[in-house]
Amino acid sequence: MTNQLTGAISVMDSKHSPMPGELAPSTHHRGPVAPLAERHGSWSRGAAWAAWAVAVCLTFAGCGQPEVEFGLNRLIVPPVNLVVQSREAQLVDQNRPAGEIAEELATLKETYLHNEQMLASALTAVFGTPDDPYAWPGLGLDIKKLRMAAGPTGVRGVTRGLYREHCVHCHGINGDGLGPTARFLNPYPRNFQLGVFKFTSTNQGRKPTTEDLERTLREGIPGTAMPSFRLQSPAEIEALVEYVKYLSMRGEVQNQLMTAIEAVGGPIDENQLAEELQVALDLVARSWNEAEDYIVVPAQRPPFRSEQERLASIARGKEIFLNAGKANCIGCHGPTGLGDGGQVDYDVWTKLQREQEARYPGLAQLWPLPVRPAEPRNLHQGIYRGGRRPVDLYRRIYAGIKGTPMPAQGQTLKPDEIWSVVDYVMSLPYEHEQASPAPPSVHRAGL
Amino acid sequence: MAVLLVCVTFPLIWVGGLVTTFKAGMAFPDWPTSGGYNMLAYPLDRWWHGPFDMFIEHGHRLLGMLVGVVTIIAALVFQFREQRRWVRWLAWGALLAVCLQGGIGGLRVILDHRRIAMIHGCVGPAYFAFTVALAVITSKRWREAAGVPASAAATRLRRLAAATAVVAYIQLVLGAVVRHVPEGAAVGEFQAAVMFHLIGAAALVVHAVCLVYKLMRNRELSAGMRLAAWGLMGVITLQVMLGAATWVSKYGYPRGLESLAAMHDQAFVAGGTWQAGLATAHMACGSLILAMSVMLAVRAARLLRPVGSGVATAQAASGGLLRQGLAEAAS
Repeated sequence: MTNQLTGAISVMDSKHSPMPGELAPSTHHRGPVAPLAERHGSWSRGAAWAAWAVAVCLTFAGCGQPEVEFGLNRLIVPPVNLVVQSREAQLVDQNRPAGEIAEELATLKETYLHNEQMLASALTAVFGTPDDPYAWPGLGLDIKKLRMAAGPTGVRGVTRGLYREHCVHCHGINGDGLGPTARFLNPYPRNFQLGVFKFTSTNQGRKPTTEDLERTLREGIPGTAMPSFRLQSPAEIEALVEYVKYLSMRGEVQNQLMTAIEAVGGPIDENQLAEELQVALDLVARSWNEAEDYIVVPAQRPPFRSEQERLASIARGKEIFLNAGKANCIGCHGPTGLGDGGQVDYDVWTKLQREQEARYPGLAQLWPLPVRPAEPRNLHQGIYRGGRRPVDLYRRIYAGIKGTPMPAQGQTLKPDEIWSVVDYVMSLPYEHEQASPAPPSVHRAGL
Repeated sequence: MAVLLVCVTFPLIWVGGLVTTFKAGMAFPDWPTSGGYNMLAYPLDRWWHGPFDMFIEHGHRLLGMLVGVVTIIAALVFQFREQRRWVRWLAWGALLAVCLQGGIGGLRVILDHRRIAMIHGCVGPAYFAFTVALAVITSKRWREAAGVPASAAATRLRRLAAATAVVAYIQLVLGAVVRHVPEGAAVGEFQAAVMFHLIGAAALVVHAVCLVYKLMRNRELSAGMRLAAWGLMGVITLQVMLGAATWVSKYGYPRGLESLAAMHDQAFVAGGTWQAGLATAHMACGSLILAMSVMLAVRAARLLRPVGSGVATAQAASGGLLRQGLAEAAS
């Protein structure tokens, strides 16, 4: 298998990936603008019109669909100039001689570009391109579904381009959450490349199941820009889910390889890379394939027998909610659940950004999305992004919200305590109406 | 005849907007045929019961054809019944424009390119505004308009009306740029397009408010003009609300306004009634603003045109729409 990968990497070519926000080289022909200097006389006017027409034709002639390519994630693989600048600052701080610094930086640049090229080639070898995706067999991805979701839109006769039709404007062609609209959205669109998904039915640190992703697509995420795609056919949703997994796996393999390359410390050769690639693919494939084994199954509980019992559960949930020494919900959500706990924290995507921006100071100017702290939910709004069923809330409390400061309480709280917190949280939007009325779904505490 | 042309063109603008909203532009890969059929011979059953994108796109083509036919009839009618030579030329110009627009629509299909779709989407409203101008020019009121003695105030008002129409069109083009930002565009490109669209909106509101204010001050101007000016303000207000709603339905609430999300606890449905309806209405309302501002500009150009003082006084005294006191009132 490793030999196959070595061969695959060696035949692939790669190209420089622009920074997010940096324009890719245009494929359009730019015809010279005809000067309309000669304004007198019919001949010169005619010539000017003809030149203008030619310029327009040339513009359109070059307007074929530009070739779309995957790029490297510049948070994980920063541009070479930033890496060199960062190293240069370190060497200057160490008072190294100028000649020595120049020599080391030249070597670093050469090595980094070589490794970057190797990394891009390896990714193309095992994942293909946005127009022609490929999935290494061990990953368990369905290539037919991937082809439905990949490629350009508007191809008649076959279903293609679903991702570009529905998702790319926000999530970007790489699935890095850097689509054209990303900066305006709150929260930012998900960056799939870290392989972390907030709303899953699985345990802490585990991947989402296919059903989790399908549910997110079908229901959307209320209170965010993520719409519901319930008008799409089940086959189309399945294809999109498969493609999201594909982009996520590609991102994770990229991250693993970059870590391995950094550990090597010098130019990586094909055999080393192939070995590391195999390790990365196995690791990523296993983590996705075993997700179904880690579904959180909430403890069953009987429906409330009386109103007093329900109110008692809510009161108990409130007590746990306010207990800073136990669940410490108030640390972020505040004593009233308004999300005003005052604790400032960041999700994993932003933490990575902050770390890399600290490591490579120029990155902050190039990265298109400003840092935003994680915002604890205002629980009085009645908006439950990960689903409004009691079981969804149970899982949010039990396993936390992946990638965010919302911690898993499965080891801290007993199942019946978690159910009480669920009851309390679901009663909060109705708190102002009566003392503590029954929200419609709380009585149906069944799953 | 020109009014009929306006009436058939406006629905075409809506349906064209739906085509873009539902990404149905490439429902048929061929043009001028539809799925291999002559456009007029496409089976009715297949049209009505086929996929929605084909339904919309074929409807758009048929409606476009209807507009073309009405334009031909209008050109012929004007050719034989219109006294003014330049108006006859305008009518033939409308025919040329509708042919050009159809051709661009065809190119969009044949070349399958987003930028041509954007151009098609920008030429359509311009054609609609052109038909409105034609309707104004061929109206009875146009012939009765007397003009005014040359004055700086009248000139300023004419220019302001014309500038409002130009700003309305620029704003419409900026909206089309936002709507057609390429899939692979950088974050900055979309941001720039949105910013320019917002600046355009502000510029249009300022122009419209100034125009309405000036027109209202000229009480001697026809009631129709004042009504149209208020109508323009009303449609612009509606358009701002539609723009905000379109944004929220597609991109959610901006930072600082998240609490408004509590108004609906479900996610918007991609391509659903709200999302598609709001985006299409916003687009069509933009065309309406352009048409209304062009109508005001054309009428202002006619009513406030400078004429020889003796003639103007005589016409004004004999019942022209603009009273002689306009110049003083405007100043």
